[in-house]
Amino acid sequence: MKIQILGTGCPKCKQLTANAERAVQEKGLAAEVVKVTDLNEIMNFGVMLTPALAIDGTVKSVGKVLTAEEIKALL
Amino acid sequence: MIMAEQGGCCCGGEKTLIAACSGAANTGQIANRLMLALDEMGKGDAFCLAGIGADISGFIASARAARTVVIDGCPVACGKKAFARHNLSPAVHLTVTDAGVKKAHDYANIDAETRQALAWALPRVGGASCCG
Repeated sequence: MKIQILGTGCPKCKQLTANAERAVQEKGLAAEVVKVTDLNEIMNFGVMLTPALAIDGTVKSVGKVLTAEEIKALL
Repeated sequence: MIMAEQGGCCCGGEKTLIAACSGAANTGQIANRLMLALDEMGKGDAFCLAGIGADISGFIASARAARTVVIDGCPVACGKKAFARHNLSPAVHLTVTDAGVKKAHDYANIDAETRQALAWALPRVGGASCCG
């Protein structure tokens, strides 16, 4: 499983990354959390607001910082 | 601005995304022109309706997270219906024929028709780009 955090590096993006890493750890999953910071790559997802979170290439959340619990529910 | 970090450095409000049908008639192309004009005026950011029609997750999630304006050319309302397939309801829905422009496969008067439609649309769009 691949979790992508889409954002240019703002504090909210960093918080979302931390929350995703915590969710993966607490679920005991073999998933990698990858940051996507390139604006063109982010736009190729069709994402118009950041931060956003994608799981295996599918965007699940846009424009908000999901909590670790909310992310766990998506995994 | 194409993208905004909600609640971040430049944005305190809700982002407005504007999608247009861009169909193969004067009215569809006027809808597209309105989208671009409204973007340039800071009323929102131009947004890909085709991304919604193609079921691209990022576009759908973006539309769900933002205030949306959908501009259709005619009462067939393809744009509004594409949104509805994903249970998305635009905050504002405009139809170019409601501005008094007659639908035709004739683009000879499109500049004047666009001005007419823009004058009609402007007071109806409301809102503003979150960074505007």
